[in-house]
This record gives sequence, C-alpha cells and structure tokens, in this order.
Amino acid sequence: MSNSTNKHTIFADDGGGRRQLTLPWGQTIHMCWGNIRNRAGRFMLIFIGIAVVVAFFMSNLSYQGMVDDLKASAGTEAQSRLNQAAEAVRSDAKEYEAARAELEDAIHAQAVLERAGFYSDTISEKKQGDQQVWLMLLSGILCLVGITNTMLMSVTERIREIGTLKCLGALDGFVIRLFMIESVFIGLVGSLIGALVGYILTLLQVGMVLEFSLISFSQAIQTFFKGVPLAVVAGTVLTVMAAVYPTYVAARMKPVDAMRVEI
Amino acid sequence: MSNNNRREIVRTQDVRKVYRMGSEEVHALQGITVTIYAGEYISIMGPSGSGKSTFFNMVGGLDKPTSGEVYIDEVDIAQLGIFELAWLRCRKIGYIFQTFNLIPVMNALENVSLPMVFAGVGADEARDKAAALLTKVGLGHRLNHRPPEMSGGQQQRIAIARAMANDPAIILADEPTGNLDLKTGHEIIDLLTELKEERGVTIVTATHDMKMLAASDRVIWVTDGKISRIQKREELDIKVGSISGEEA
Repeated sequence: MSNSTNKHTIFADDGGGRRQLTLPWGQTIHMCWGNIRNRAGRFMLIFIGIAVVVAFFMSNLSYQGMVDDLKASAGTEAQSRLNQAAEAVRSDAKEYEAARAELEDAIHAQAVLERAGFYSDTISEKKQGDQQVWLMLLSGILCLVGITNTMLMSVTERIREIGTLKCLGALDGFVIRLFMIESVFIGLVGSLIGALVGYILTLLQVGMVLEFSLISFSQAIQTFFKGVPLAVVAGTVLTVMAAVYPTYVAARMKPVDAMRVEI
Repeated sequence: MSNNNRREIVRTQDVRKVYRMGSEEVHALQGITVTIYAGEYISIMGPSGSGKSTFFNMVGGLDKPTSGEVYIDEVDIAQLGIFELAWLRCRKIGYIFQTFNLIPVMNALENVSLPMVFAGVGADEARDKAAALLTKVGLGHRLNHRPPEMSGGQQQRIAIARAMANDPAIILADEPTGNLDLKTGHEIIDLLTELKEERGVTIVTATHDMKMLAASDRVIWVTDGKISRIQKREELDIKVGSISGEEA
C-alpha cells in the first residue's frame, strides 16, 4: 500500500524517535501555578470551600477522639488515685491529706466531663453522632459539586488555550496532566489550611466545653499528628475526584476549538 | 507561471464533509478538488456558512473529510491516528489565530519555545531558536515580557514566531489581521510575505481583509461548499487598486 510509504516520508526527519510531545514537569507546574495565580479570585473560593469542609471534618473527628481519650484517662486516673488514697489512709495521715487533694482534682475532672454530659444518655449521643455523619457527608458532596463547577468554568474559559496547545502538538495526556496537577495543588493547599484551622478549632472546642487545663501537651501533639495528615490526604483526594469530570471535558476538546472567536 | 514543476504541499481530491444537525444532514463541503504548491500564498474567501472554515480546517489537519482525500505533504490525513495527527500539527503546520491565542502565563520566549518542546527539541536549543525567531519578527528586546503586557501587533508577531518554530511546511492563518488596526495589519502581512519569500513556507489564510488578498498568489473562492473560482494575483490587481485607494 502506498500509505506506508507516505507515512515514511512524513516521519523521515524524526531523528530516531525523538517524539516527546509533552512538556517537562517543571514547565507543566509553572503553567499550572500561573493559571491558578491568574484566576486567584475564583480559586480562592475553592480554597475556602475545601478549607471549611476539611476544618469541619477535622474538628469533628479530632474533638471526638480527644474527648474519648480524656474520658478514658480521667476514669483510670480517678480509680488509681482512689486506690492510692485508700492506701494512704492506712499508712500516714499527712500523706492522706495530699492524696485527698489529688483525688479531689481527679473527681473534679470527672465532674466536668459529667456536667458536659459525656457519661449520660447514650441514645441521644448516638443520634447526635448520626447527624454529624450526615452533615459531614452533605458538606463533602457540596464541596465536590462546588469544585467541579468552578473547574468546569475554568475549562470553558480556557477552550482556546487548550485548543491552541493541541494545535501545537499536545496530546490528551498532556491536558489531563495539566488539570490533574492543578487540582492536586489546589487540594493540598486548601486542605492544609483547613486542617490547621480544624486543629485550632478542636483545641478551642475541647477547652471551652470542658476546660483548657485538661488538655495535656502530649495529647495536643498526638491529636495533631493523628488528624492533620489524614485531613490533608482526604481533602486532596476529594479535590482530585471533583476534578475528574472537568479534566475529561478538557481532554476531549478538539484543536479546532482554538479557532473560535466568540467565547 | 507554470505549476507543473513545483512541489505539491496540499492536495484535496473530491473532499466532502457532512455534519449531522439533529435529524438533518448539512453538506458543508460538496466535492472540493484543489492543489496548493509549496511556497504559495493562498487566501480562501467566502461568505459565512459557505464551507470556507470547514475547508480551511481540512487543509490544516484539524478536521477529517467524510469522503474524499486530503494530502498534506503527501500524507493522507484520513489515515492518521491521534498521535500522528498531533505530530503532523506540531511539525508540519504552524497556526496563527485571529485572537493570537498565546499562553498568557508564559513569556514571549516560552511561548515560542513551546512547540519545539512538544517536538522534543532540547531546552537550550529551543531557547536559542526562539530568541532568534523573536528577533527576526522584531521583538528581540521583549523576550521576557508576557502577552498581556504587549500590544495586539506584538502578540501577533509572537504568534508568527511560534508558528515558525518547528520550520513547518504550511502556515495556516485564520483572519490574522482581524483584530488589528490598518497599519499593524499591513506590518503583519509584510512579515508573512517576507517569511514566505525567505523560507519558502506555504501560507494559507482565511480572510475578508482586502490587504491580505493583495498579497496572495491565488485566491480560492468558496460558495455553497464548492469552489466557485480561483483567481491569480494578476487578475486581482485591478480590483485591489481601487480598494486600497479607498483605504488611504
């Protein structure tokens, strides 16, 4: 067939398969960053959206975790101090006084928790927990839809740019990479901000509902390392999921679209 | 001027294109046969809805015919896959748009380097060549400026440099002077003509601009999906004389 010889002619000056047809990572990231900077206002909305949702998730989960920890430690602490006090009664009156003071502290801690309703009414607590799950689900979906919409808008605005890239020889894969990197970037920054805000909220919540003095330093650190990485990963995954459809739309665009004058 | 001993760069053979619009079929092209030779300056004219754009896109490897054949540099584009079409667009065709279509986040140098990077040219080589091309179009002093900081004429110059980046066989220009004032438009046309003379590149434009017609070697008139006539420059001269008189 003459076709194969034709192809040979066109690919003859290829220089031995130097067909890259893609950009180095550095330049791709440079492009993504530039685009985010150019649409700073719009992307700010996405950032805030993710940040709020992640902060909400984070404060909910971490708060629950911290309270559970406190409950457990307060319970065992009180028990051990009681034992100590009983022992002291038997041995020394002076030590007994000190132990009693300590005991009172422990009892106070437990009383604070009790007052906040943590030992009472497990049925309403469960109902509240269910509501929390629904709220988190709902806010997650809202956030997803918001990001998808904003990114679709960005794709529509960039029809000509994407078309031009395709005219210059970019393949679908390159366009996909461009939008995916962008969404990962947005997701990372947004959820990092969200996680930090959520962490601070958690501490404030525990401190205000209970007492600041109940939070030990080690527990604060522990909560940070348990919650923040998880929140950042979850937020980024959420953003990338939201970006799948807009990316698909962008990748499917035809080079002819670059010729459009009216947008 | 005999065309027999010149190299064919684009050849279409009874090209037809049918679009489906709902239940209706629209015959955008109804059998177009034309040959464009290397180093020619061709203008495609026609009212809107005439199939001019469809034909133009066909020549530029942006669209495939429903039936018939389009050969670009001896390659039948209907036979090409996605990858090869991208390759063809990257290496063989340079595009110039009415709206310039530069990448706004990149400076002039990066914009011109872009097609070379896509073609796998090394970064340093691409930079050097981009700088040379930009100097050639008269923007050697604004290499690091970004498109939004430049005037329309300057942006179109960058676009021309970008179109020339991979030494294409064809430059496809869609109303390149459409968004420019009279004087800048003239400068752009002069630049294109100069590149044609100097590098032997074929220029295909779709335009309504009489200045562009005056520079063309041949004008292809498309009406109702068919070629209604092909005029050579000699035949055009008289007409253009009166029109440029009006402009002045």
